[in-house]
Amino acid sequence: MRIELQHFSKRFGDTVVVSDMNLVVEEGEMIALLGPSGCGKTTTLFAISGVHRVDEGRITIGGRDVTRLPAQKRNVGVVFQSYALYPHMTARRNIGFPLAIRGMERRAADRAIDEMAELLEIRPLLERRPGELSGGQQQRVALARALVRRPDVLLLDEPLANLDARLRLDMRGEIRRIQRETHTTAILVTHDQVEAMSMCDRIAIMDRGRVVQIAAPAEMYERPASRFVASFLGSPPIAYLPAAATEGGLRVGDALVPWAGTAPRDTPLSIGVRPEDFGPDGPIRLAGTVAAVESHGREMLYAVDLALGARLRAIQPGIARARIGEAVAWGFDPARMLVFDGEGRRL
Amino acid sequence: MPNRLRSLMILGLIGIASLPLIVMLAFLVIDSFSASPPGTLIPDRFTLEHWRFLWQTLPGRPSIWTATANTFLFAGATGTLLVAISSTAGYALARLDLPFRAFFLGGVLVMHAFPTVTLIIAIFLVLQVTGLYNTLAGVVLVKTALNLPLGIWLMKGFYDTVPWEIEIAGVQDGASRFTVWRKLVLPQVRPGLAALGLFSVIDGWNEFILPQVLAPRSDVQVLSVYLAGLISDDSRFDFHLFKAVGLFYVLPVTLIYMIFQNRLMSIYGGGTKG
Amino acid sequence: MSSSARLGLLMLAPAAIVVALLFVAPAILTGVFSFTSMTTATGITGGAWQLTSEAMGRLRSAGLAAATVDALAAEHYRIDETTLATAADAGVAAATIEELRTRHGGETFDNRRDFERFLKGLAAKPANVAALKAAVPPFRVSIVNVRYETAAAFDAAVAGSGVALDAAARDLVGREAYTGWRWTTANYGRLAASPETLARLGRTLLYVASTILFFNVGFALVLAIATYYLPKGPGAAVRAFWLIPRVMPVVLYVMLWKWLAWDGGFLSTVLAPLGVAPRNWLLDSPVNAWIFIVLINGFIGASMGMIIFSSAIRAIPQPLFYASAVDGASTLQQVRHVILPQLRWPILFVTSYQTLSLLASFQEILLATDGGPGSSTEVWALAAYNTALNSYTGNLQYGMGATLAVVLVVVGILVSLAYLRLFNFAALVERPRIEQ
Repeated sequence: MRIELQHFSKRFGDTVVVSDMNLVVEEGEMIALLGPSGCGKTTTLFAISGVHRVDEGRITIGGRDVTRLPAQKRNVGVVFQSYALYPHMTARRNIGFPLAIRGMERRAADRAIDEMAELLEIRPLLERRPGELSGGQQQRVALARALVRRPDVLLLDEPLANLDARLRLDMRGEIRRIQRETHTTAILVTHDQVEAMSMCDRIAIMDRGRVVQIAAPAEMYERPASRFVASFLGSPPIAYLPAAATEGGLRVGDALVPWAGTAPRDTPLSIGVRPEDFGPDGPIRLAGTVAAVESHGREMLYAVDLALGARLRAIQPGIARARIGEAVAWGFDPARMLVFDGEGRRL
Repeated sequence: MPNRLRSLMILGLIGIASLPLIVMLAFLVIDSFSASPPGTLIPDRFTLEHWRFLWQTLPGRPSIWTATANTFLFAGATGTLLVAISSTAGYALARLDLPFRAFFLGGVLVMHAFPTVTLIIAIFLVLQVTGLYNTLAGVVLVKTALNLPLGIWLMKGFYDTVPWEIEIAGVQDGASRFTVWRKLVLPQVRPGLAALGLFSVIDGWNEFILPQVLAPRSDVQVLSVYLAGLISDDSRFDFHLFKAVGLFYVLPVTLIYMIFQNRLMSIYGGGTKG
Repeated sequence: MSSSARLGLLMLAPAAIVVALLFVAPAILTGVFSFTSMTTATGITGGAWQLTSEAMGRLRSAGLAAATVDALAAEHYRIDETTLATAADAGVAAATIEELRTRHGGETFDNRRDFERFLKGLAAKPANVAALKAAVPPFRVSIVNVRYETAAAFDAAVAGSGVALDAAARDLVGREAYTGWRWTTANYGRLAASPETLARLGRTLLYVASTILFFNVGFALVLAIATYYLPKGPGAAVRAFWLIPRVMPVVLYVMLWKWLAWDGGFLSTVLAPLGVAPRNWLLDSPVNAWIFIVLINGFIGASMGMIIFSSAIRAIPQPLFYASAVDGASTLQQVRHVILPQLRWPILFVTSYQTLSLLASFQEILLATDGGPGSSTEVWALAAYNTALNSYTGNLQYGMGATLAVVLVVVGILVSLAYLRLFNFAALVERPRIEQ
């Protein structure tokens, strides 16, 4: 169901954790709340779920105002980073708990549990207790428990953080598949940009209690609203060069970079260059020395200390193109660069 | 220094420091089953005469079985009451959005430091006035009350170890806070409940001053008072008899202690009086 | 109020009720009692009015004229319906009584001789000397040592005694004749004036400080460190053994120490072949008594420190030990430079905690020496207990005992509030994460 936050604010004592947040999640959509720890994303999640009181603003789910509704009456499924399975109950009873609370008749509940177990491929594990399950299996049980009641909204709080890298990759796809199959509106809270980009339809990036940008992953990557957003997306991260606006473009070190934008003359600007856009063949050449070379198997990662006093990273496929200490003059494509003003806003 | 030698030295030194205790405990058992000639400690014959209190009532004392039953009742009742009351109050203080929570918590801590003697004088007078003087119910209530700050504090500590996520998950699953406590949280602190219960049963079993002051009459006498009475009369010490009764008295505690030692360790380290 | 606040208050209610009735109320009552003169003699609930010789002494020292006091104490012989009825019961001849009633009703005589002379002059005078002697006592009236249940009855009796008193004197007499407890600050005055107070304070300090220093922290540290360096099995066994004094019933435990020290007990028997005369080591000198008191309490108290220090030592990261071993540190150096610095807070905690516990404790001393020899081991808490609840004379001084207890409470509360600050109480009050 459609979720809407209007001017939502939340304080803990004197600390403002979220201020004036507006967000719309369309029905069946999966959106990520992405940001560094302490940015207010989990607080937002708990406000939607009903565990935190809303200080200001309004929250609606499927058009119904739930701002003052207790968590028990919101029909929201939550999956926690720690899974929060009830340790003294078997997987079956864990999944069945929300149904038991709602007073569902035993046989119907068992059917619903089995159906959910089928979907998540955990049929054989149902009689085990959480202590006897691996992290990935616990994760699936937790998902089943959140989904078995057919929730209006599914909230995922860092669901993959406790899994190892391999399993995380599998579960990313799994969660997305199940979310699609059940057609559940979902919000994913994460600090991992890869997770957000790969799993979600849209991303809302938060910083110190405010939403900085909401966009689809590709758009946000290509057209970040600010340096903060640009830095958050992409690995290895984007790097910046100091620049100044001049007649017909930007001055970066000795080079004149063509730029169609406008800025007052001589204001300090910066340009961001992503590692995949920097290499031996770019049109704008900058002199520097190779400071590090790392092999990542399929590709090579370079760090180049530029003569103008900044460091750029480069990712290039195939064999090594330079050695450490080698003087190079690598370049980038001005069409791909991002230009920011002194406050970090993209121009 | 090789580890073996070091261990032996340490054990030796601790052994010397433990001598008074070792001697006391050894002779507690030996003397209750034997007789020794005056002026020596070495027994010369085995006897059960010191255990006569089991089948005959000692002059001027209530029957040992009355005292034993009273002690069981006293210890069991205080244990049950304490666990019941602390487990609800501890949860309220640990997890519920209670008005004046900090004040209550501070109060619990300050009360924990309250000297028993300051209360017992007034309690003595209160029980006299209310007619609960010389009743087991009165002492049970008092003992529970005095242990309550500790019980609440320990239970709060146990609840604090239960992850918030479990409670949040329960609330999200639609359960009321009471159901969350009853069905989800309480099962997680069962070991804590057991430890507190065991501790309080032992503590009640051992309690002396409260029954002595508040319920000394013979039909409500507990074993500690019975035992103390045996040698309060300074002229006629019969330590053999005393030790036999003492051994009888300490048996249940020994049993509990041997089985649940590790559980109790956490409570005795968690801060109790003495 | 939020639903969880309601549930919280409900779940807190049983504890709150028990605590209010048996913790808070007694604590307040203790404070109240400390301002009374309550003893066994005065009773708890109330008293009567009775002019005792002590009361007369108090009246004299309160400045009432000696003549007035004597007048109050004086006996009279009066002929009225009450005394006549008593006389009839005592067997005085009916004729005599009839004559007294009809002709002399209401007459009063100030002393026995006058009254006897008067009786001898009656028409129906007593038949012989024995009858005369028997006829006199029923007519004797005196308010001395007579118990009056209400103030009004007492006042009437005083008025009837014929002594003229002004209002102030009447009040004074009534106050001093009252046998129940009274409001007074005298307990605190006595406490401040008594030289015993300072001595008691000193003994309490000695008791708390030496027990903590030698055992609750000192020996507890030795045990924790020693068992750390022992293999797992023996280490655990030693710790379990040293928990025994804590788990054992206090009566049995202390009495076994008594057996150890008693003149027919272990020490005396073992030392006899060495030519040491048997004696009660526990009570033969104040120094020995103190050694035993500290041992008895220390053996109990060592376990808490031992358990806390042990887990603190186990929480020290292993690499620290490896590093110091690689650096060539000896075991003692390791203890000094790795273990002890990490135990600063646990030691502080145990010290503060046990200070309060020991301040309040008296059971062990009560059972072992009961403050003896003399009062050389009577600590403050024991003094409070003995004064209020354990007096040999049978007159328990509740008021004075309460006063002693109040001092202990004030000290206890101040110290524990200081500890709450020291150990960052605010951190213990985490805000609830479910807000409903």
